[in-house]
Amino acid sequence: MKKREAIGALRARRLFLRKISLAGAAVAAGVVPKVAAKSEAAAAQKSFPTPDYDWSKRQWAFGVDATKCIGCLRCVEACKRENGVPLTAHHFNTWVERYVYLEGENKPRVDSHADPVNIAASGSEREYRFANRYQDAKVEKAFFVPKLCNQCEHPPCVQVCPVGATYKAKDGVVLIDAKYCIGCRYCVQACPYGARWFNEEKGVTQKCYWCYHRITKGLQPACVEACPVGARVFGDRNDKQSPISLFIRNNRVHVLKPETGNAPNVFYVGLDKEVN
Amino acid sequence: MPKHVVRLLILLGAGLAVGLIAKWLFTAESFYEFGHYRADSVAEIAAKEPVLQTAAYCQSCHSERHAQWSANNHKTVTCETCHGAAEGHPQKGKLPIPADTRKLCSLCHEKMAERPRTQPQIDLAQHGAGQQCATCHNPHAPKLAGVVAKVSGDAAAGRKKHAESCASCHGTNGISPNDTWPNLAGQNAAYLVRILAAYKSGAQTDVMMSPMAQTLGDGDIQNLAAYYEGLSCKAPASGKAAGDAAAGKALAQNCAACHGETGVGTNPAWPQLAGQKAVYLANTLKAFRAGLRKDPMMAGVVRGLSDADIANLAAYYAAQSCGPRKTS
Amino acid sequence: MNPEATARLSELLTQVTGFIYPNEIEIHWSILIVVYPYITGLVAGAFILASLENVFNVEEVRPTYRLALLTAFSFMVVAPLPLLLHLGHPERFYEILLAPNLTSAMAMFGFVYGWYLMGVLLLEVWFEYRRDLIILARRAPAPMRWIYRAASLFSSDISEAALAFDQKAIRAITIVGIPSAFLLHGYVGFIFGSVKANPWWSSVLIPIVFLMSAIVSGIALVIFLYMILAAIRKEQVDMKCLDTITSYLFYAVIVDFTLEALDFTHRLYESEESVRILGTLIRQKLFLSLIVLQILLGMLVPLAILIVAKWHQLSEDGRKLLYFTAVILIQVGIFSTRWNIVIGGQLFSKSFRGLMEYKMAIMGLEGFLTALALLILPFVVLAVLIKMLPTKPLLDEAHTAA
Repeated sequence: MKKREAIGALRARRLFLRKISLAGAAVAAGVVPKVAAKSEAAAAQKSFPTPDYDWSKRQWAFGVDATKCIGCLRCVEACKRENGVPLTAHHFNTWVERYVYLEGENKPRVDSHADPVNIAASGSEREYRFANRYQDAKVEKAFFVPKLCNQCEHPPCVQVCPVGATYKAKDGVVLIDAKYCIGCRYCVQACPYGARWFNEEKGVTQKCYWCYHRITKGLQPACVEACPVGARVFGDRNDKQSPISLFIRNNRVHVLKPETGNAPNVFYVGLDKEVN
Repeated sequence: MPKHVVRLLILLGAGLAVGLIAKWLFTAESFYEFGHYRADSVAEIAAKEPVLQTAAYCQSCHSERHAQWSANNHKTVTCETCHGAAEGHPQKGKLPIPADTRKLCSLCHEKMAERPRTQPQIDLAQHGAGQQCATCHNPHAPKLAGVVAKVSGDAAAGRKKHAESCASCHGTNGISPNDTWPNLAGQNAAYLVRILAAYKSGAQTDVMMSPMAQTLGDGDIQNLAAYYEGLSCKAPASGKAAGDAAAGKALAQNCAACHGETGVGTNPAWPQLAGQKAVYLANTLKAFRAGLRKDPMMAGVVRGLSDADIANLAAYYAAQSCGPRKTS
Repeated sequence: MNPEATARLSELLTQVTGFIYPNEIEIHWSILIVVYPYITGLVAGAFILASLENVFNVEEVRPTYRLALLTAFSFMVVAPLPLLLHLGHPERFYEILLAPNLTSAMAMFGFVYGWYLMGVLLLEVWFEYRRDLIILARRAPAPMRWIYRAASLFSSDISEAALAFDQKAIRAITIVGIPSAFLLHGYVGFIFGSVKANPWWSSVLIPIVFLMSAIVSGIALVIFLYMILAAIRKEQVDMKCLDTITSYLFYAVIVDFTLEALDFTHRLYESEESVRILGTLIRQKLFLSLIVLQILLGMLVPLAILIVAKWHQLSEDGRKLLYFTAVILIQVGIFSTRWNIVIGGQLFSKSFRGLMEYKMAIMGLEGFLTALALLILPFVVLAVLIKMLPTKPLLDEAHTAA
């Protein structure tokens, strides 16, 4: 980590010196240079961002079948491991909510694994489990709903970022540039889904990015990989036979908080009117 | 225009120029290339190495385990879900084998109204008497073989077949004359049906039993099983066993969920062990351990047993008095 | 995560009522972000008061003109500090100025701040004080002389023509300055009002409410400073001036109150999905700061006091006492307004199912003491400025001497 930072600093200095010398040369030659902000490395590559992955060819999307979710939270565990999310009960790229209607009640009881009762059941804040708190109650209807960043078509977080540290990649994923984020947390306020959290140690905002480092290498996001019941579906909408294209085509899908106009790219099956 | 205003305008102009030059000099590299962000950051994010390696990575070394896992119900539960991230393994060391399987397995299988009905669920208070799940279930092939076979044989016909083919080794009353061959009297019929069918099909092999079983028809197997189950299992005390029965008793805690605390189980799919011949029991356990007898559950159970453990267990069960099977 | 922060959040978790999204436990915009709109509000309000004299030729408020200008300037200098200190990476702050994201309300900070501080306030102060700077440069001893000379851009032109130009410039700047002051605080309001994810913030009225409350707080602050300064200098307070300004204050409070009441009624009448949780928020979390401090003590009581002071023929001393009480209560009220908007908007879950808790730290960068220091700092800056720049135009001794 330290080494990477050192390289980053060196690189910045090199860039600065290059611009300075360029400016010096320009002044010497008496011409005003055109702003050459393009990095040759990126421009020269045929595919971007990596030699094996072309982001202009993909349009990623995510599906959640809430009727399949068993609330085992292996997705949460996998995500924390994969992305180095702090092992606390307060920072999650993905999480699971539980909705329980008891007999005679018309409002559901809602909790997530970050609820103190569930933390107590798991034994620590570093482990995740739903307490069996309704085993003796008369349950009329109950289900789990996994949540994650919706990678919206019109992301309000990107709209409000003052510096352009978060942006929508061409393949549809909303990314965060941790080396550029100033840590103002305006994006956290703008997200209606509670998907973003602040990494105190790094001083930057973080969130689910559909495991961009995995999907650009042909792998599935960690949560999709870990889900034992196929409640999470991921794929490329440009491929009409991909799991996600079939999921969207073969189901009546719904998105969270459609009234915001954010147009999420996480599609749900089996949502209830009380889920928001 | 007064001179001081000209000076002011020059100062403001200089300030503006400094600002613009600063923007040109200090704006991050690759910014604006695709939009209002650093294009380089996309590649930086994509460059991160995956932590979870997927089952294909595990397969390259653990092919046998992988084959068993991928052919069974838990094939949707990835290796790393239970064993942790494989990044750095094997270079950095071993991955954990979960010790508290009751805690781990109940994450998915604890009975909850919130779970879809299609998910196999157990009532933790009622199931397995507080034992670790892996005691009975092989996590890589969790479904128990103990499907109770149908028994609809005729005991009288079985008695005739017994006298013809089996009595010479297993004793006229189903009590074996030596320590190496098992007693059959009082054994669960469903178990006998399953095991004889396995000898017959070749799923299980034995120098003596395999040719014998191949001569049996399905009817014969049914009849024999019904006959043996009806016999009294009371056997004369055999010679002192090699192992330490007291030590065996402690080990037997791990077997109690299926075989009962004293070797008298409740599920007819699994054999009664109480009063069984000690040498036979020990040989059978060793056969499981060596993979000569194949049973996914037993394979998991015996994996950690030493020869002494096996002798102790055998001594313990041999010393127990057999009794009528408690019905569940 | 450091264990201390984790323990703090874990403790907060036990105080959550209802359901919140797991990441929402942390209150991201702390006391410093309460201080920020409070300070910019004072800037805008003080400047608008200063403009009255110039644009509308209200001679009565002339005695407070320079004071209002310097107040606006010193608070403006401090205004970015709470923002800066609150950032996760303060050293990257320049990015917001180099490459502002034009769709972000917050990125407008650079433009608005730059324009307002450099383009309006600094220029107006300069033109207003230019003549005095030149006179001071002649009088002052060595080190200060050079500072005054540099500040006057080494010009010594105080001819009639030059001063006439200065007056024209001031008038032009003020005319541009009033919409700029509106822009400054309207933009701060827009930062909150444009967050559609947050029903407590999201409202077209918020920028206007911010603006009106800014004018209220700015005028009240200048009255406060004017009275304090007079007491320190043992000078007579110009009662005509004070009566006029407090009249403005009175009308501004009424408009502010009307707007806030309109906003409140509108929300209640529309009764959108969020109305239930916002009702609970007010009852359970904001009762003291909203109902008691902001509305009762910060608005209704000062209004009553001002009415009493105006309608009953009170003695000068009696009026002064009432005015002084009113402006202090108004400051408390406006600070509560900022608190209720900034902190209140973060105390309920966006799932509309639960409430969070904010525990203000005492120490630390985002704690109470930092906020207090930031609130005191502009007064220190102002004290220095007043020492250097007279609040009344200097008598031209040079001319009399000549």
